[in-house]
Amino acid sequence: MKRNLAVLGVVALLVAALVWAGVQNLRARRLAAEKAKQAPELALVKEGETPPTPSVSADSFVGDLDLRGKPAPAFTLTTLEGKKVSLSDYKGKPVLVNFWATWCAPCKLEMPWFEELRKKYAGQGFTILGISEDEDEPKEAIAKAANKLGVTYPILLTDHKADKAYGDFAILPMSFYVAGNGTIVEQSAGLGSKDDIETKIKKTIAATGAM
Amino acid sequence: MKRLLNLLVVPVFAAGLASAQMNGPVPKSFVTYAAEPASIAAKKPAVVELHFKVLDGYHMNSHTPKSELLIPTVLKLEPATGVKLGAIDYPVGHEYSFSFNPQEKLDVYTGDVTLKTHLTAAAAGTYTVKGVLSYQACDNAACYPPKKLPVEIEVTAK
Repeated sequence: MKRNLAVLGVVALLVAALVWAGVQNLRARRLAAEKAKQAPELALVKEGETPPTPSVSADSFVGDLDLRGKPAPAFTLTTLEGKKVSLSDYKGKPVLVNFWATWCAPCKLEMPWFEELRKKYAGQGFTILGISEDEDEPKEAIAKAANKLGVTYPILLTDHKADKAYGDFAILPMSFYVAGNGTIVEQSAGLGSKDDIETKIKKTIAATGAM
Repeated sequence: MKRLLNLLVVPVFAAGLASAQMNGPVPKSFVTYAAEPASIAAKKPAVVELHFKVLDGYHMNSHTPKSELLIPTVLKLEPATGVKLGAIDYPVGHEYSFSFNPQEKLDVYTGDVTLKTHLTAAAAGTYTVKGVLSYQACDNAACYPPKKLPVEIEVTAK
């Protein structure tokens, strides 16, 4: 009898824990839904149809592996112009490391925002490094795509190692906001809103200033 | 008491599973292939259908995307002894645009996608033709690196 009561008690605790987790999840989903209202409508739209509402806002999505709070993995990559660039070249400065590709439409949507925000916060030492994950595109095609988007920050060519170091992610765009001490303070997977990108940039600059 | 405990076990596990699925990782594959054995006449040109399905909520570029920067869907079949491979017929894609960029028209596949391969079996028998479907998928806010899906076609010629 006592044993059965004990087992019943454990099961009841488990159910209570699951219910609590469900409530927390619902709260988080509601918060994400509110944020999603502020994000641009992102939907595959067939002619004549109404775009569906995004189910999860990319503003809060970090991808499969959360590197926030961890040191940004080092890399040395080559720019479109053939120059070697290392993340360590920017030690002491806030940096946005953005992984993109010419075949990624959401990536190319946010890159003009990046350029605009880079110019806005350049005076505070902020810069952006765009790492192209293209495999079969010639350098000239990548350069043409970046120029068309008005991008003037460095575009680096993947070595197929940097992406693995940053979590071997399976989604683009991926953005890592690195403070001056080399810590990743923010991270996002997929297209987010311009407002959220700016919020993350300001947080990264503030974290750098607090060093 | 035992019955009561048993009644509680099932919903507890189900709730756990549901919770785990709510925040699932990025799918490993966005396209599935339904392998179906095909029967054809020996020594005569035949057409075999290959059925694929794009996961709900995702799309992949068609065989003829509207930009040379976009990665097309391509099926490559390996030569197989006793089978002469012909052309592959791709379905017509759908015209879609991301709502954030309505000016750019994409040509994509969603849902059920049927490709057709032309082949001729030299003699009666059972043959296995292997290949790979290369594709690149996106959802409404992100894109996923190009992937390769293994394909096997079992053909019986009579």
